[in-house]
Amino acid sequence: MTGLRATLAAARAVAGFQLARLCTPARLGLAALGMLFPAVVLLAIRRSTTGPLERSFGAVVLYALVPEAVCMLGLLMTMCPAVADELERGTWVHVATRPGGRRALVLGTFIAAVTWTTAVGLGAVLLAVLAGGMTDPWGLIAMFAALVVLSCVGRAALFALPAVVLPSRALVASVGVAVVVEYLAGFLPAVINQATVSLRLRSLLVHWMGWRQRMPPQLRLIVDPQPVWVQCAAVVVLAIVFLTVAIMILERRQFPPSEEG
Amino acid sequence: MIRLSHVTKLYGTVIGVNDVTVELGAGAHGLLGPNGAGKTTFIGLVTGQLRPSMGRVEVFGAPPFGNDRVLRRLGFCPASDITERRATALEWVRYLVRLSGFTAADAAARAERTLEQVGLDEAARRPLGTLSKGMRQRAKLAGAIAHEPDLLVLDEPFDGLDPVARHDLVGLVRTWARSRSLLVASHLLHEVEALHADLAVILGGRLVASGSPGEIRHLIDALPTEIRVTCDDPRRLARQLAGDSACVGIRLEGEQGVVIATRAPETIAALVATAAEEGLAVSALVPADRSLEGLFARLVGLHRGVAP
Repeated sequence: MTGLRATLAAARAVAGFQLARLCTPARLGLAALGMLFPAVVLLAIRRSTTGPLERSFGAVVLYALVPEAVCMLGLLMTMCPAVADELERGTWVHVATRPGGRRALVLGTFIAAVTWTTAVGLGAVLLAVLAGGMTDPWGLIAMFAALVVLSCVGRAALFALPAVVLPSRALVASVGVAVVVEYLAGFLPAVINQATVSLRLRSLLVHWMGWRQRMPPQLRLIVDPQPVWVQCAAVVVLAIVFLTVAIMILERRQFPPSEEG
Repeated sequence: MIRLSHVTKLYGTVIGVNDVTVELGAGAHGLLGPNGAGKTTFIGLVTGQLRPSMGRVEVFGAPPFGNDRVLRRLGFCPASDITERRATALEWVRYLVRLSGFTAADAAARAERTLEQVGLDEAARRPLGTLSKGMRQRAKLAGAIAHEPDLLVLDEPFDGLDPVARHDLVGLVRTWARSRSLLVASHLLHEVEALHADLAVILGGRLVASGSPGEIRHLIDALPTEIRVTCDDPRRLARQLAGDSACVGIRLEGEQGVVIATRAPETIAALVATAAEEGLAVSALVPADRSLEGLFARLVGLHRGVAP
C-alpha cells in the first residue's frame, strides 16, 4: 500500500493501539465518572424542584455539562498527550522512523480521542436525560448526540495543535487554547468567533431548541443564524484545517534524543 | 547507501555531530564510539528523525527526513527498551508493521513469521512486561525487520543483555546481515567485531576513523602502544627503561604503576623481565590501552596528527 491508503491504514493501527492503551482501570474509572457526573447533577437539581425538569433549563444544564465540560475534559486527557506520551514512553522513534508515521500518529490519536470521548459523552447524555426526566427525552438525546460528536471532532482537532507545538506542556497549553479560543474568542461578537467550535455548537443548540426568536437582541450576537448544515460543515472544515496544520508541524519537528524516554 | 557530506548537527549550542563526511556502501557497518560520542545523533540523522543543521544526509540517494520512500526501506531498533508493558509481543510487532502501511492481515502474518524467526514464537502472546530484557530485545528486533527493510539500523542492541542473550542476538543479526545491509551503533568493539562489520569510529561528534577492522588495526598499530607495569619500585624501573630507544614515553601511575609508551612491546617485555631477574618484584604487565577508550584516545591522536 502507498500514499493515502497506507496513511489511513497506519492511522487505524495507531487508533486501535491508543484505544487499547486507554483501557486501563484508572481510565475506565474516569470514563465512568464522566458518564455519571451529569446524571448526578441533573438528579440533584430535579430533587430540589417538584416534578420533572423544565426542558429548556435541562437542555442548558446538559449543554454545559456534556458537550462542553465532559467532552472538553475527555479530549484534554486523550488528545493532548498525543506526542508527549510517545516521547515519554520512548515509542516516538518507532513512529518517526515509519513512512507516514507522524501523520498516522496525529490522525490515529485523533480517531482514538474522538471515539473514546464520544462514547463517554453519549453515555453521559443518555444517563443525564433519563435522570432529568425531561419531556421528549429521545429528541434531546438525538440532539445532544449530534452536539457531542461535533464537539469531539472539532475540539480534538483543535487540541492537536498544542499537542504537536508544545508536547511537554500540552495540557496547560490546551487549557489555555480552550479558554482563549473557545470561551473568549468564541463569545466575541466579531468575525474571530466564526473560527470557533463553541459558536457552532451554541448556534445548533439555539436552532434545535427553537430559542432564537425568544432571545434578547444582545444574545443573538453570540449565535450564528445560518442553517444547520453550515454549522456542521464549519466544524468539519475547522477540524480538517486544525489537523492539517498539526500534521504539517509534526512532520517538521525534531526531538533531540535527550527529550525522549 | 549512506552518504553524509560535511554534516553538522547542533542542538542549540551543543554539537551532536561535527562536520562528518562518510560514505557507507551496502553491507554491514559498525558505528563505534564511547557514550556521548554522537552515535545516536548520527543514527537519528540516518533514520530521518533529525535534519542536519549543515551539510547533506542521503540514504538510498535521498535525504531521509520526512521521506516516505526512504523510510519504507529502513528498519530501526532504538537503544531504549520497549516501555509498552501491557501489549503482547505479537501486538507490538503487528502494530509496527501496520505503521509501515501494511494491511491488518498482512501485518499479522508478518509479525507471527518474524517472531518465530527471532525465536519468540512461544512468548509471542505474553505481555511485553512479563518478558525478560533479552526477549524484549528480540521483540524489538522483530519489529524492526518484520517489514523486510533493505537497511537495518541498530542502536546499542546488546546493552544490558546477559552473555547468552547477547550471543543469540549476535547470531540473529549476523544472519540478517548476510542478505541485507546493517548499521550497528555500539560502544563495545568486540560486539561490532563479532558482526564482521566495517567500522566507523566517532568521538566528540567527529568521525575519527573508518574502514575495515583490518584497516583500523593497521592505523592503530602505527601508533605507540602503552604497557602498564605494576611493581614494587616503579621509579627504578622507569630509570632503567628511560634510556632505551624502544621506550617512546614513560609516566608513573600511582604508588606501584609505571606506564610505558612503545612501538616495540616485545622489547619492553624483555627489559622488564631482565629487571625482574635483577630483583624487581613485578606483579603485572598488561597493555594499558586495550579498553575502547584507549583505542579512541589513540585514534584521536592519529586524527589530530599527534601521538598519544
